[in-house]
Amino acid sequence: MASEHNTRERGEPRSALLGRIRRNRWTGLLVNVTPSAVWLFLFFLVPLAVMFYYSFGQRGAFGEVLVAPEYLGLQQYRLFFVPDDASVFEAIWFTVAWVVEAVLPFGIELAAGEPTPYVQLTLKSIGFGLVATLVAFVVGYPVAYYVGRVAPEEYQDLLLVLIILPFWASFLVRIYAIQILLSGNSVLTNALGFLPWFQAGQSLMNSRFAVLVGLVYIWIPFMILPVYASIEEIDFTLREAAMDLGATRFQAFRRVVFPLSMPGVVAGSLLVFIPSTGAYVIPDLLGGTDSQMIGNFIANQFGAAGNWPLGAAGSFTLMGIMLLAIAIYQRYGSADLA
Amino acid sequence: MSTESNRSPFARLRSRVFARSGALLAAETALVYLFLYVPIVVLIALSFNDSRYALVWQGFTTEWYEALLAGETVARVNPDAAWSALVHSVEIALVTVVVSVVFGTMLAFALDRYEFPGKALFTGVVYMPIIIPSIVMGISLLLFFNIVGMTLGLHTAAIGHIAFDISFVAIVVLARLQSFDRTLEEAAKDLGANELETFRHVTLPLLKPGIMAGALLAFAMSFDDFVVTFFIIGNQNTLPIFFFSMVRQGITPGVNVVAALIIVVTMGIVAVAQWFEGPIW
Repeated sequence: MASEHNTRERGEPRSALLGRIRRNRWTGLLVNVTPSAVWLFLFFLVPLAVMFYYSFGQRGAFGEVLVAPEYLGLQQYRLFFVPDDASVFEAIWFTVAWVVEAVLPFGIELAAGEPTPYVQLTLKSIGFGLVATLVAFVVGYPVAYYVGRVAPEEYQDLLLVLIILPFWASFLVRIYAIQILLSGNSVLTNALGFLPWFQAGQSLMNSRFAVLVGLVYIWIPFMILPVYASIEEIDFTLREAAMDLGATRFQAFRRVVFPLSMPGVVAGSLLVFIPSTGAYVIPDLLGGTDSQMIGNFIANQFGAAGNWPLGAAGSFTLMGIMLLAIAIYQRYGSADLA
Repeated sequence: MSTESNRSPFARLRSRVFARSGALLAAETALVYLFLYVPIVVLIALSFNDSRYALVWQGFTTEWYEALLAGETVARVNPDAAWSALVHSVEIALVTVVVSVVFGTMLAFALDRYEFPGKALFTGVVYMPIIIPSIVMGISLLLFFNIVGMTLGLHTAAIGHIAFDISFVAIVVLARLQSFDRTLEEAAKDLGANELETFRHVTLPLLKPGIMAGALLAFAMSFDDFVVTFFIIGNQNTLPIFFFSMVRQGITPGVNVVAALIIVVTMGIVAVAQWFEGPIW
């Protein structure tokens, strides 16, 4: 900008051209957008496209990756979603039945077969994400309400900072801290000895419970903050009005306050669900063999198992879940992300 | 209270809960703050624990700190490796912050001040690096670098960090721009300031808190990133990668000391920044 300005003042012939370029309404846009657009295109979109392409490839007999045009096809997705010698329709039915069987308490058998281990793993990851989101909501909503509404005005900022502060502290170190607490013979596991079904000092690590604690611990600020932002904006005279008109405290909350805080709840749920479902480090450090998630599966396909096309197909399945969640968010939520 | 007697026990309990909501909310909130801070406090306390293995308190000692800071290896933690990993992390984070703050701020200007065809789609692409799981981002970059034949190292890690940090900076600065009073710029121009002077003396000072917050966020994201870095850094180390490999080997006093140092330093830096800027995010 400096040189352009100077050239104009010196009045050289060049400046007329520069001035014209500068006054053009697209110039500012191009200058401002180009660096980021190029970077995001080259180092974000193109890599995703490469991965998408790989997900149609095959693994050769010696573990090599075959992605020449003649090898391309849906075989990885078929392997991922459809059990051997089942039709696509049967695969869908097995999947639905498997979910219903898992949700219903009694041991019923609905379908003749099971979905593939990969689908089971994907559904399990979604389950982890949903439970983590639900726990974060149940635990986090009252906190957001307290900070935004009940706490004395002068402490609100401090309370908020105290919620955000751990988020800035190292992610891995905090997971390690959870690991310390849940290990056998730790302060916590020894203190829990008074519980009737719990033997003092017994390790809680390497379990689904540990993974859930880790997920909630890391992501709960992401639930509290958007909900707080929503509650802060609510005009609480509406609640008074409802109660003047005869609503009980519960009714006033359920019919007036809670619906008005929904944008925050939806945004917070998305912000917890997406990273929880795609988690990799937390199940790796806190989970056992039964609590690995799709993130670990993907990493494993690109590492020890060495099946890159299958890993790429897994990645795009995970991306599909994310996009679905975001679509639901855009349908029902209206608050800004973050 | 006669109306309450013909309601279900659950409804009666509920209304009693709601009548005492203030105290209950305060108690629940206190528990959540405990949940957030107890692990960190226990971690720091155990780094002063006078025991080589146990997770229970055996007495206070600064032995592990002294040994590590004197350059001695403490229970599998090699201070030289930790130091070089720390230097790598800082190098990558500094490059990332400079590039992503400049690019991200420009991008925020473009998104705030221009309408162009495809803007909604473009904005979606800008949000995507924040939303998609880091494992997908890390592995797709790994495939990409593999195909174009780039050797993995600190530079590829920085490239990846910039790719997600541009988005974080742009969104933080954009929030600031959207609450920005544009008439101030017009006033400056009416009073005879040229574009550069307006930008230098009006726009930039008003945007500064947003840019600072964006820079800090970018630094923290880059410094703390494990998943993306893990896949695209080749055989180099950053602090999170070094720490991850230590944690996988188990809990030892050496790991506790490194963890306590990391957490105290990062939380200290952020606390100072928030003191100046108010709550970030």
